[in-house]
Amino acid sequence: MSEHRRLGAEALLDLVAEAFKGEIAPSLPPDKRYLAAMIGNALDIARREMAVEEEALAFQLLDHFYDDGDGTMQELARVIRSGTVNDTSYPELRARLKAHVASELKVRNPRFLGTRGVKG
Amino acid sequence: MAQAMDDKVSTGRRMLEPGGFVVLEPWLASEIGAERVAIVGAALLAGGAVQQNWRLDAEVTGGARAGRHAWVLRTDAAASLDVSLDRLSEFRCIEAAHKAGVKVAEPIAASGDSGLIGRPFAIQALVAGNAQGRRIVRDPALVEFGEDLAREIGRELARIHSVRPKAGVLSFLPIPMTNPSRREVAAMRKGLDGASEARPALEYVLSWLDANAPEPPAITLVHGDFRTGNYMVEKGQLTAVLDWEFCHWGDPREDIGWFIARCWRFGNDDKVAGGIAKLASLLEGYNGVADIKLTASELPYFEVLAAARWATISLLQGDRFIKGGERSLELALTGLMPPEMEWDALDVIDRLVTKGRVT
Repeated sequence: MSEHRRLGAEALLDLVAEAFKGEIAPSLPPDKRYLAAMIGNALDIARREMAVEEEALAFQLLDHFYDDGDGTMQELARVIRSGTVNDTSYPELRARLKAHVASELKVRNPRFLGTRGVKG
Repeated sequence: MAQAMDDKVSTGRRMLEPGGFVVLEPWLASEIGAERVAIVGAALLAGGAVQQNWRLDAEVTGGARAGRHAWVLRTDAAASLDVSLDRLSEFRCIEAAHKAGVKVAEPIAASGDSGLIGRPFAIQALVAGNAQGRRIVRDPALVEFGEDLAREIGRELARIHSVRPKAGVLSFLPIPMTNPSRREVAAMRKGLDGASEARPALEYVLSWLDANAPEPPAITLVHGDFRTGNYMVEKGQLTAVLDWEFCHWGDPREDIGWFIARCWRFGNDDKVAGGIAKLASLLEGYNGVADIKLTASELPYFEVLAAARWATISLLQGDRFIKGGERSLELALTGLMPPEMEWDALDVIDRLVTKGRVT
């Protein structure tokens, strides 16, 4: 049942974004265009986040450093700052972090990745 | 256009009553050495998230400024960033830059007193021009004026960096006692300590910056926010450098790194100098005036520093919504931007490590 409700919300957001960007935004006066662009952007992010939760992306990163379910982003940030986890102790550190950032960008701003030559 | 003085316009903290700026008249007359100043028009201009701008039309009688003037009054922010200067300190920096020959809107007067109009403010001359970054980088005429504009910007940056710490010059700005880039890293870490979200990638970038900080060629005045979007352009010419609230003493290359950082090219990625021109043009203008000569090879570090700084600021902007309760879609969306700058920072580090220039 919860599965259907999620799909319903996603489909609704999809329609709202389409109607807003296709029919409402173009008819707004110039001084509202920036706000309209922000609303369209926010709707798109919300829609993508319903399909991929950022919490799941964080666990994908944390699983490389901690036993299953252990560790938090706060803890990982702390040990990187303290130097306990670094390029020497973990040679793939930068690559893992970059992959995580890319996974967040696929939700928050896939167009950005395109400008950096990464497929969204 | 100036609006009627009997309009009531909200300043965010309180409503200005009819003729709210009339209280400024005797104060302004005293500040600029005039017999009389009459504010004959006031209009709220489009402002940013951080401050409000008013156009004031003034008639000055007597003194060196006698005549009719269009000025801009900028109030302090309703919610200033911790790291930014108050309006009066910013005004002093603009005065110092003006004295050094930097193109700024002429500083007229400023007050740190909230008693006059409800909050501190500064008044400068109104300058013609467009400061919208996206419009500047998409101007069809950019191909004609972009390289010259970048050279001019280089010269302006060099003039800013000609201001050096010495007795009586902006003595309220702290002089870095340690490496200025490491000081920036420490400030960012302090900001992140109070942030709502932990960012391991940003922490990695800060650790890298800390480990690879170069020694400064000199300690100079640093504008702190000199980028496309913070200068005015009229018919392809630079008319004024804006937004001095992040001014500080530091490594001059910090300003260059901020100007060329990919996040401030507004999509014109191949035009490294602020989305308007080649880096070589910016450096040509800079090196033609500055006593410090810069090369392209020393700038990637400062691009990483810039990306980290904007990532940190954007995260904290988002917290104004998440933690501070400011209901702003712009702030909320800005708070989602850190991965963009983290990506760019990691990309530059990747390239430097691959080239064997750093560890």
